[in-house]
Parts: sequence; C-alpha cells; structure tokens
Amino acid sequence: MAQEYTEYLAINVLNEQQLVSYRSLSRALKVHSNLAKQMLYEFHRKQNAKRPGSVHATYLITGTRRPESPSQTNGAHSQEDGGDTVMQSSPPLPGSSAPQHEEDAEEPVSVRSVLLVKEEHLEQAKATFESITGIHIYSLQANGLSDVQSLTECNRKITASYASEDPLQAWKQYGTIQNPNVKRRTQRRGPPPPAPVAKAAEPKTKPLAPTTKPTVLERQASKESKASQESKPASKPTSKPSSAKATPEPAKKPATVKRQDSDIFKSFAKGRAKPKKQDSQSSAEATTPAAAEPEDEPMGGFSDEDDDAEDGAADIDEVPQEPEGKSKKEREADLQAMMDQEDEIMEDAAEAIPDKTAAEEDEGAIDRPVSRQAEEPAKETVTVENGRRRGRRRVMKKKTVKDEDGYLVTKEEAAWESFSEDEPAPKKLKTAPATSTNKPTAAGKKGAAKAGQGNIMSFFSKK
Amino acid sequence: MASEATTLRNIVAAFTDFLTVAIHTILYERAIYPQTSFLSARKYNFAVRQNRHPKVCGWINDAVSAVEMELLKGTVERVAIVIFTKDNKPAERFMLDVSRFPTATLADLDTPLERKSANGDNISILPKVDMEEQFRATLSRLANCGSTLRPLPEGSTFTVAIELKGVGQAPIAHPQPWMPVEPTKQDDIDGRVQKRAVPVRAVAAGEMMLECWIEEAAVSD
Repeated sequence: MAQEYTEYLAINVLNEQQLVSYRSLSRALKVHSNLAKQMLYEFHRKQNAKRPGSVHATYLITGTRRPESPSQTNGAHSQEDGGDTVMQSSPPLPGSSAPQHEEDAEEPVSVRSVLLVKEEHLEQAKATFESITGIHIYSLQANGLSDVQSLTECNRKITASYASEDPLQAWKQYGTIQNPNVKRRTQRRGPPPPAPVAKAAEPKTKPLAPTTKPTVLERQASKESKASQESKPASKPTSKPSSAKATPEPAKKPATVKRQDSDIFKSFAKGRAKPKKQDSQSSAEATTPAAAEPEDEPMGGFSDEDDDAEDGAADIDEVPQEPEGKSKKEREADLQAMMDQEDEIMEDAAEAIPDKTAAEEDEGAIDRPVSRQAEEPAKETVTVENGRRRGRRRVMKKKTVKDEDGYLVTKEEAAWESFSEDEPAPKKLKTAPATSTNKPTAAGKKGAAKAGQGNIMSFFSKK
Repeated sequence: MASEATTLRNIVAAFTDFLTVAIHTILYERAIYPQTSFLSARKYNFAVRQNRHPKVCGWINDAVSAVEMELLKGTVERVAIVIFTKDNKPAERFMLDVSRFPTATLADLDTPLERKSANGDNISILPKVDMEEQFRATLSRLANCGSTLRPLPEGSTFTVAIELKGVGQAPIAHPQPWMPVEPTKQDDIDGRVQKRAVPVRAVAAGEMMLECWIEEAAVSD
C-alpha cells in the first residue's frame, strides 16, 4: 500500500506534471478519502525533504473566519469601545427599532468558510481564521498552481473515468458523505424483453397470461394499486431479471418517454392520480443502472415476494373496484388478445387500454384525445389480399347525443368496422412510435452539443 | 460530425478556435494583462480564462483571422505567440507547429476529406471527442506552464507571428495584415544565446496534427 501511493504520486505529479487531488487519488487507489489526504501529506513532506520545492500543495481550510473590519452603516467609530453603548442621535426608545438594530449590527458575525489556498498563502490564510475546524491537503502539483480553476479538471476526470461505479456502494469505500435516508428510485420501465413473469392471478382482476411484457405488466400494476410503493418493488424485480445492468439505456428511455405522455394524461384522471403520478415520476427519472436497490428499499422484503405484494395491493383495491370489475375483465381479455400481437401495435394498445379505463371512469375531456389512440385495432382481424388489408377492427367513434336536459353530449364509443386499405397502414403505426422516441434522444443530444458550444465563442461574435 | 463531411475549412476553424483560447490562456498565465481582467469561461469542457477588454479581444480575433487566411492557403509552417520584453527582445515563444495540416487548393477548400485505412475503412478526419480531449490536455499543460517559466519582466507585450513554409508565399499584398520580419540571427556576443525548449503537447486527432512547445530565450545578462 505504501509503495503504491508513492509510486502513483511520483508518476503523476512529478513525471507527468499532473494535478492530483485527494479525490482522484482515492478513486485511483480505491482507498478512503481521508487516507488519500494523509497519503498526499506524506508524499508532500517526503519530497520536499528530499528536494525542497519539488512538490506544491493546495490546502483546504475549514473554519470560522474572523469578521472583516466593520463595514456597517454606522461606520468605524461604532466599534471603538467594545462594551460602550454607542451614542445614537435618537434615544434608544423601546419602541424605535432602528437604534437597537444598529447596536445589534455592531456584533461581529463570524462566517464559516471553506477556503482553498495555495501553499504560499497558507499562513496568511490561517491568520484570517478565528478558529480552524479542519485543514488538509486538497491537491498536489509539481510546480506552483497558477490557476486555481484548473483544479476543476480533476473532478471532471473523476466523473468521466469512474462513472460506472455505483455511488451507493462506493461511498463506503471512498468515504463520500451519504444521506442514510436516500434510496435509489427504481426504473420501472424496463426494455420489453420476453421475460416470463409469473404473476399470481389475482381474483377478479387479472387473468394474465404468464408471458407478459414487463411494460404492460407495470401498467397493470399501476392500474390496480393505489398504494404506490408496493407495485414498484413488485414489478421492479420482474423488470430486473429482464433488464441486465448493461441493457442499453436508450432502449429504456424511449419506452419511458412514451409512457410519460400517457401518464400525463392519466394523471388528469380522477380516481387514478396517485399511481399515475408515480408512474410519471419513475419514468421521468434518469435511467441509472439498476443496482442493489432491493436492499436499499425500506420495503425490501417485497423483492422476493412479488406475488404477495400483488395480492396485497390487489386486496386493498379490490373493494372500491368491485363495481367496475366486469368492464375490467373485458379489458383484460382484450389485453390478452393483444399480447399475441406485434410489439409496436401492442405497446400502443397497451397505452390505449388503460386510457380507456380512465375514459370510462370519468368524463375528463382531456382523456378523450388519449382514448382515441385506441383506434389501433384491439381485436384486429386482418387479411392481406392483393396488396390491400381488409378486415374488421375496433374503432372509436364519436357520437353526439342530446341529453335529457337538452345538452349535446359527445361520447366516444368503440365500434367495429370493416376496413380496407393499402398495405402501408401497419407501417404508419410502426413509424409513429419510432419517430416519437427518436425525438427526445435527438433533442437531448442537440441540446447538450449546443450548450457546450455557445459559451466562449459567443463572445467572439465576429465569427 | 458523421453526417457532415469534414473539409479543410472545418479543420482550420477548429484550429483557430483552439488558437484563440490558447492566446487568452497565455496572456493570463504570463500576466501580460492584469489577471483580474480575465473572466472564467469554459471551452472543450474545461475552465479557461478569457480577457474582457474589448480591444484585446478584437486584436486577438483579427490576428487569428489573419492566421486563418494563411492557413487556408496552406503556406504556414508554424504559428508563434511571441512575448517581448520592453526592449523589444523576444523573451519567450509559444510555438504551434501546423506544418502537417492537409493542404488544398482554393477550389478544394470545401471538398469533404476522406481517409481510408489499410483495409479500406473510413478513418475519421476530425474525431471530435478525441480532439477535444487533446485540446483540453494541451490547454491544461499550457496553463501550468506559467509556473515553470521564469517570471517576465514588467511591461512585456506579445504578438502573433507565423513562419512560412517556402519562399515566395509571403502575404505582402495589400491590405497588409502581416509585417515581414527578418529571421533573428543568433547573437554571438559571448557564445550563443541559449534557447530552452519546453515541450507542451502534441495533438494528433484524425487530421488535426499539431505540436506545441515553448521556447525560452536564456537570460543573457
């Protein structure tokens, strides 16, 4: 251990003339930050003993700083006699706050500060401190540090090189400050691989086929559970086996973005605010590699008991959903049928199904355009003949009827129609989800590129 | 960058960006102008210093455009940022060797460049990430160079010079942005004026190949 760090520091600081901060040292040697600070100090001491001035250090001082010379409005004379009361122009009546205020303002305010100092200025800086709570070496460099901001480069390198490490595990090793209440939010929307998930058949609500895609599954989970937390760990382990750490995040992202759109609509639905909101939350978060979440979750016990969780959730929600059980069943059946369909259509239909539930439950006008998405054929029978698709499909048709009060009410109802159209029809469905997913990622990339470019060169407006 | 093919113009533009930032950094490091007149900015995802005075920026921009014009012609061998003392003696030179840039005729300035490897795959002409990383490293080295070099005497000033490849290509047409200078002979008063060269970095990213070093004139007194 001792050899390692001397060697590492000798190479990087002396030979390559790089800047080594305690953080980069701790990451490189996989040691605790405090140990790294000690290593830096040792190296600095030894090298300077051998050859004075070969290694320069920057120190970090934390403490309370002595206040500056009085800069208050009453001027310098107010501090002349420490204990004396200042003669104010107006007598300090209890009622008048102004003189009191000035008197209070005389007291020096100590400021807790964290200061980065080059070693040349160390003694000077120490003098400005009233009391020093901590002092340690921040970084080492071969020659004096000319520009303090070059230290930022160290941190950037760390984030670049060690981005793959999970901070929730690594913090113990490196000694980063950790909030014990923090837990990682799981990414519910895994990429839809064909992972067989055995979900217990909850009574009345879910005669689900075993091979459901996790995305749709989570939809189901969201539909049932009003108790938000349970569904998350429940569906998460299902998505976990299917989503390995290395699964491409962009695959997740398009799925999540799409979910987001319908989630927003669903969040307007009355009875469904909580689970939907939670969906949009979990899909909106950055997709971090799903690591050791189950241990961190307070309801970690659910990780292996997804069935129980589902049951529990279902039980809670069973009662209020009694009256609608029937229509739900119908929807489940549709969903089942859809499972056998192609991916894209199914995904859209998956969106459609829960949207339909929302639409039927409440008359939020916002849900209308969403439920119209369910124009995708639910039970589509398609035959391809001579380059034309024919068949029957389910379409949402609008019907305007006059109410008993004389109001015109527009209702959307599912109706079957037989259609005949040219081949490109299915392709349109495919491209629609594809383009929508491309947009967020492209927009993200463009935004990042532009932000990087627009800074210094904007000054040189000539070019 | 993949969709848009790289032309010589792009390469030169990338280099001039870098040159601008390098000049600002050198001015900051060598304290030619008071360090308080610089503000912090970011370039290549790196913290750099930029001078705030409009005349300084204007001058630098003009100088860099003039260098760009010469670069497009393909006549430049080296670009130098020279620091003079008050007595007009060059104290230091920050050299950038650009002789390995691809050259093209005027007509071909906007033709996309292409390079193929031995087995026929396309090699990237200007790999952006790679290039940025190397620029970052060069700037970082330049920034720290201030500590290795001897402190400059008061009242030093700077200028930008180019060394051309061959004879007969000097830009002395009107308007004349450049002043022709005779190559300074070594003073043989008491032996040679020793020059010290400190390598900074070499950048090799696709077609962007340049080297950077610092030449220091020894103190002859």
